[in-house]
Amino acid sequence: MADAGNRVRVWDAPTRIFHWLLVASFAGAWLTRDARHLDVHEFFGYAMAALVAFRLAWGFSGTRWARFASFSYSAPAAWKYLAALARRRQAHFVGHNPAGSWSIYGLLALAALSVVTGLVALGAEKRLGVLAGWFGYRVGDIAHELHLWLAYAMLALAAAHILGVLAGSFADRENLVASMLSGYKRATGAAAGVDAKYGIAVMIVLALGLGALAYFHAYPPAGGAGRVPSLALALDLAWKNECSGCHLAYHPSLLPARSWSRMFDEQESHFEEDLALSDASLQHLRTYAARNAAEALASPVAWKMATTIPAEAAPLRISATAYFEERHARLEAATWERVRPSACGTCHRDAEAGTFAPGAMIHVDLEKSAGQDGK
Amino acid sequence: MSTWRSPLAKMANSRWFPRRGIALAAGLALHAAASAGPVDDLLQQFRAQGAGNFTAAAGAQLWERVALDAKTGQARRCALCHTDDLTRMGKHATTGKAIEPLAPSVNPERLTDRADIEKWLTRNCKWTFGRECTPQEKGDVLTMIRSR
Repeated sequence: MADAGNRVRVWDAPTRIFHWLLVASFAGAWLTRDARHLDVHEFFGYAMAALVAFRLAWGFSGTRWARFASFSYSAPAAWKYLAALARRRQAHFVGHNPAGSWSIYGLLALAALSVVTGLVALGAEKRLGVLAGWFGYRVGDIAHELHLWLAYAMLALAAAHILGVLAGSFADRENLVASMLSGYKRATGAAAGVDAKYGIAVMIVLALGLGALAYFHAYPPAGGAGRVPSLALALDLAWKNECSGCHLAYHPSLLPARSWSRMFDEQESHFEEDLALSDASLQHLRTYAARNAAEALASPVAWKMATTIPAEAAPLRISATAYFEERHARLEAATWERVRPSACGTCHRDAEAGTFAPGAMIHVDLEKSAGQDGK
Repeated sequence: MSTWRSPLAKMANSRWFPRRGIALAAGLALHAAASAGPVDDLLQQFRAQGAGNFTAAAGAQLWERVALDAKTGQARRCALCHTDDLTRMGKHATTGKAIEPLAPSVNPERLTDRADIEKWLTRNCKWTFGRECTPQEKGDVLTMIRSR
């Protein structure tokens, strides 16, 4: 099996830089999947979108082995290659082998779909990004779910791709990972090497670098917290002054209108207190609450509250609702011995604003923060 | 300038400005200024309702009185939230929210808004004692708070 082929440049620089930047972006997006790092996660999504867009263009205008035309194989061809690989009888391909080609197209498609579903979810649930407000919360919820499935599918395919690269490397006795770094592979016959096209590779790196600078530098910090700008819910000074006398001024979007109505009707026994609000004050507060209750769907939390509280229920205690319990299920029971459920501001910087963005949460060291509850 | 004397000293020693007159005038002016506050307005109102002779001592006694809540049996008193030392931060007994000190000497915003005073007296007397405070009790406790 003496292969007397010489080593030529097969992968140009733009293809290589694209590959590794995509790997880094996917890894980065995966590591920042926690909602508290949404701003960074979003950046990696934009990076992947730009990289995939470039690859699609380069697939038609790049050097020989980067073009899609050079690695378009049918599904049967891919299967045949895998079967041959299993018997160590595979042929040597200068460019991508048939099976590898399919995983490439699969990864590109999954990346593109992840970006799209991510943008839809972001625009629908958080009202941010290029698709801000395009869809309602229900669509956003579905898109979010799809986004998760696609991410796991992409992880699985990436794992398969890595296994394939390792298997192919051993079978062909060629370090394919090193090839994707240096660009050089063993060529057969009269295959000539391609140009490196370093200039374009440099432009790609510059574009992403400048993009990162603009992205992270241009975001205004939301209340000194995480960099995700929050939605702006309607606030009322009278509401804040009245309610924050004893507790956080809970935003009306956290309960349906019928809850607030019931609360004001029963103001003489508001959690054992007689509020004794004046008629003028009561009227003002009723109006503000009715207009900005959960049904107004001004925030993702409002939507969840409006759709999960049974129609016949008018709960007065936010922390006793199913959605609250679902969101706080991860906390240990011991947490509630140190922090009152009614003291939202202990962990949520934007509690009074009513938005409860994950990016605006603070990590509270419960050992040290004894006595600071109730803020 | 060893023989310079202040205008005030000159006035006080002048035949034309009786000292007692100045003292009286100053006293009246100060008294008039003090009456303009919301607490005094409320005290006037309480007097009109039959109460009188408000003392800080009586207010302090009310402050320490313990009442049992009819429904839960919880022992309630003013100090439960506001503490016995009005110059210190308090803490809401149910929500745990921090409460600014009540003493005007430490917190100048206290006792400056009449509607505010009335609202909280109504609400908190009801919670603590299960009933509205009488005008006498309100006058006493305001007199006490003002002195801290």
